[in-house]
Amino acid sequence: MNPFLATFFKDLLILWRDRAGMLVLFLMPMVLVLVVSLVQNNILAVTGQAGLRVLFIDQDQGFVAKAIRQRLQASGELELISELEGKPLTAERARKEVAAGHFQFALLLPAKTSVRLREKSSLLAQDISRTSGESKSNDIDHEPVQVFFDPGVQGVFRTAVVSSVRYSLLGIELKEMEQQFSKELHAQFGIENSEKNERNISRETQVFLKVSEQITGDSEQSRRPNAVQQNVPAWALFGMFFIVVPLSGALLRERHDSTIRRLLILPVPYWTLLAGKTLAYVAICLVQFGLMLLVGKFILPLMGTPAFQIGEHPGAVFLLAFCAALAATGYGMLLGTWARSYEQASMLGAVSVVIAAALGGVMVPVYVMPQVMQKLSIFSPLAWGLDGFIKLFVRSGDLASIQTNLCLFIGFFLLTISLSVVLFSRQGRNGG
Amino acid sequence: MEFSENTHVIEKKPLLRASGLRKSYGGGNPPAVDDLSLQVEPGEVYGLLGPNGAGKTTSILIMSTLLRPCYGTLSICGTDAFKYPGKVRKMIGLVPQEIALYPTLTGRENLYYFGRLNGLKGASLEARVDTCIGLVGLSENADRRVEYYSGGMKRRLNLAVGVVHQPKLLFLDEPTVGIDAQSRHMIIENLLQLREEGVSMVYTTHYMEEAQQLCNNIAIIDKGKKIAEGAAGQLLAAHPGCRNLEELFLHFTGRQLRD
Repeated sequence: MNPFLATFFKDLLILWRDRAGMLVLFLMPMVLVLVVSLVQNNILAVTGQAGLRVLFIDQDQGFVAKAIRQRLQASGELELISELEGKPLTAERARKEVAAGHFQFALLLPAKTSVRLREKSSLLAQDISRTSGESKSNDIDHEPVQVFFDPGVQGVFRTAVVSSVRYSLLGIELKEMEQQFSKELHAQFGIENSEKNERNISRETQVFLKVSEQITGDSEQSRRPNAVQQNVPAWALFGMFFIVVPLSGALLRERHDSTIRRLLILPVPYWTLLAGKTLAYVAICLVQFGLMLLVGKFILPLMGTPAFQIGEHPGAVFLLAFCAALAATGYGMLLGTWARSYEQASMLGAVSVVIAAALGGVMVPVYVMPQVMQKLSIFSPLAWGLDGFIKLFVRSGDLASIQTNLCLFIGFFLLTISLSVVLFSRQGRNGG
Repeated sequence: MEFSENTHVIEKKPLLRASGLRKSYGGGNPPAVDDLSLQVEPGEVYGLLGPNGAGKTTSILIMSTLLRPCYGTLSICGTDAFKYPGKVRKMIGLVPQEIALYPTLTGRENLYYFGRLNGLKGASLEARVDTCIGLVGLSENADRRVEYYSGGMKRRLNLAVGVVHQPKLLFLDEPTVGIDAQSRHMIIENLLQLREEGVSMVYTTHYMEEAQQLCNNIAIIDKGKKIAEGAAGQLLAAHPGCRNLEELFLHFTGRQLRD
């Protein structure tokens, strides 16, 4: 066995026997991807895919209450709850429930809302049909529909619920006004308010200018972005970069116990041994990455999330993962050469990877970050990796689309290795 | 001088010849090694004695090609060691002061790894590993991880790894520090056996009786400079006031503490 392979297998064996290191490298990212994907999957469900449970206090008992219940429930966005423990909800109870955080929202429809709407619509129709005279519709005022929020609910979420309620109320209001206007036309000009006309008017009050949601890119191949497609590559990268902790630790151990001296007086170029070591750690990173994809593909769906899809370019995925692993290993080499103690290397390694992960969009997507942080994120290798994987997994990208990402990783690897060599030579000159 | 069969006079070449070695780490510190010259003949054990910080380890690092001096020349087996370190490294072995082993590998795995890196393979590698394990008395524990070895066992394995490739010249930097009398005795026995086999050694130690027992030649160095050199008996004879090597050592290096 040549020195390169001997070193490769030796380092694999050492890593395999380091149970604590293995736990950090394999179990931690798996647990993170499971927990975060499940948590975020639930957030996506409540914000878009399943009904959000909203308390509904109906003090109106009229047609508005009936209509708003129908419209909100038909949209599937909100599920209205009017009773708790078999008792009809009161405003006071609803406020308490929301304040306690048991529910995030409550919708209060005040008494006589239907009566007031009918009166106002009728007067408005009369105002329009009369050519002169004072407007009477402005005289009628009504208590507003109220939405109570849990203070912990974030802005975007609040806006979505309020918009949904407003949209439903607007529809009810329009329909009522049309009916009153139709009656007024009949009264003033004798125009028949036939059932057919009513149906036509009613149809026209439905949404006329529609909005269609489409994902950009090749429509056949595009996958809908979800928590799994984002989190699996994100946490896989996070786990891969954590290789810096055991790698820098191994290099420091070799330095501190003088094994490095023994290696350096061998009749073998040191770069051969470094290459063997690098490949061993890259191999571990790739195994990590593969296991994370398997978790996304087979374990996460068992817990109710969508299955992870690798897409049409597995070769490009492998190449990007390999380059990311090289970059992670290069960083580990640099850290292991620069640090003076294991504590220094492990602390700096872990903290810097967490910071790079945060900047890189592993925890929160880059596009929702403030502008300053978005600019900073371009310096994070995890951002390069995640951007590349999102291109491949979500945006139907191919090898050509991730060229920049590959180049950045290779450049980072060459830079970190070169700096490591410079530092190592400097230490060598000083007998270290 | 020796005579060949056809009576031509041939010069016995030293295995190691160091001349005017000087190494300074900068920062206004005095040189760690200052104008050090020495010569090691084939089969000779050369002892470097000195107090803490005298420059012993730096000298070993320079002579084993790990550290470039600011000045001086070094030839090993007639080859310029600074110009052709790769050539020289095939002939030398190092036993560092620290336990330079992989703790999560077994004793046998450590020997296999360093044996392979030194170019051994197949049956010869297997045979050398078994021989070395037997030499240092680790046959029963060869397949245990080094992290579970006692200090003495680690020291013995440290020596075995240094000689697995049968070097002509072995550098030993305090190889018996911090171990019990039994392990120390065994290591000294191993080194005497290696000397018998013709292995040359450069040996640093703080134990005077070890140096007296093992070394053909001794150099006492202090503050990077060689202050005395010769066989232990010769040195003692030249200083009648000193009853043993320890007194001689204190005579040359003084009694003040070194940190």
